[in-house]
Amino acid sequence: MILFRPILLFFILITPLEANTIYNLIKIPNLEIYETNTKNKLRYLYAAKPFKLGINIKKNIRCFDSNKETLDKKYTIINKNLNRYSSDFLKKISLKYIVLCEDLSIANINTAGIPNNVTRTLILDIKFDETYIERAIHHEVFHMIQSNYKNIFDEAEWKNFNKKEFKYSECSTCNNKWNLDTYNRTKGFLTEYSRSTAMEDMAEVFSHLMFYQDKIYNDDPIIKKKIRFIKKNISKIDNNFKF
Amino acid sequence: MIIINKIKITKSERVILVFVILLGVFTLGSLLIIKDKCLFVKNYDPIDIQFKNRENVAVLNANCGNVIIELYPDISPNTVERFKTLIRSGAYDNAAFHRVIENKLIQAGDLEFGKKENLDYGKVGSGKSGLGLIESEIDNDFKYEKGSVGFARTFQLNTEDSQFFIILQDEPLFEGEYTPVGRVLYGMEVLEKVKFVPKFNIVPRPDFINSLKMLD
Repeated sequence: MILFRPILLFFILITPLEANTIYNLIKIPNLEIYETNTKNKLRYLYAAKPFKLGINIKKNIRCFDSNKETLDKKYTIINKNLNRYSSDFLKKISLKYIVLCEDLSIANINTAGIPNNVTRTLILDIKFDETYIERAIHHEVFHMIQSNYKNIFDEAEWKNFNKKEFKYSECSTCNNKWNLDTYNRTKGFLTEYSRSTAMEDMAEVFSHLMFYQDKIYNDDPIIKKKIRFIKKNISKIDNNFKF
Repeated sequence: MIIINKIKITKSERVILVFVILLGVFTLGSLLIIKDKCLFVKNYDPIDIQFKNRENVAVLNANCGNVIIELYPDISPNTVERFKTLIRSGAYDNAAFHRVIENKLIQAGDLEFGKKENLDYGKVGSGKSGLGLIESEIDNDFKYEKGSVGFARTFQLNTEDSQFFIILQDEPLFEGEYTPVGRVLYGMEVLEKVKFVPKFNIVPRPDFINSLKMLD
């Protein structure tokens, strides 16, 4: 008992000290600054070494470092797309840090991005399929929006837009509906992935609106309703928002 | 009868003797100098300095002398007001510099678990002031350069209370993250002498703030 207290204190006091500022801010190890001088105040970080994340010892989120050439190339694309969001809007949706890394996965399932509105961070896989990467950036941004404004982007209201017999899956990875190609004949959904969950469906509509801007034209009445829903609710967050 | 002849000290023995004496004096002197970590630290007396805004100057007294801090109510009005309230009540006197990272930052101001009379190593850093949490004020431009003083918070915004930190190096990533309250005008050397223990998150047997007072 005499020894117990000093031993306990020793373990309390010598919890690993991370003097790394980035780690202290967003709790992701092995990151370095890529660019902080941006017009909308986003801070771009990159993985200098692979990292693992997770709320328990399993740490099921993984991502790897990349070479400078890939980083520079993808940063240009990512920065061009994210520059479309004003600093005010980013603040409203709690997005401040963009982490660039390769082969991002969660529970061994590859993903384009992982948003976290608590740490105000969006991890992006810069090796994600080039065909979809720009849309994927906006898709992930929508998840930041949605997680900050769950009451606005009401899933029950959204589900009513679909045909009565349609049902989404339990989760976005509970099936194999992962194709991101835009349908020619939409029938209420822009992509196969839209059919996975209401949240992913909203993110797909948003990302199409951002990517195609005014060029998106659809005479599908369900898609029309979904577009109207997204536009109306985004304007509630920021009246000056431009798709 | 035994006759003992007086033996004369040789030249080499004399040299060795002088060397040993000098070595002894040097060792003793060094020990005294090393023991006093504040020996070469300049102590600034605020009476000798003219300030433009005396009402926004605070003087923190630590082991090696005074740290003179200018507060910026124009940048963070509510947080500076909280800081001044606590300073004027003497709340920070005897508070530990509980988190010190060499050449990086110094954190103090846990008024619940970080005071000299009831320091709790298991809880220090999580204590409250009793005045409630305040909102982060991070919208105004402020450069977190060496000597900047900010209010600490938990992982989440709007959880500032009484703990503050002073940075010992430039920290551009702190901009827009932590509420700034001021900047050290004089006495960075005093802060650089505050006790730290490498690899320890919480400093065992830490140094304490002797006093923290407003100049006026």
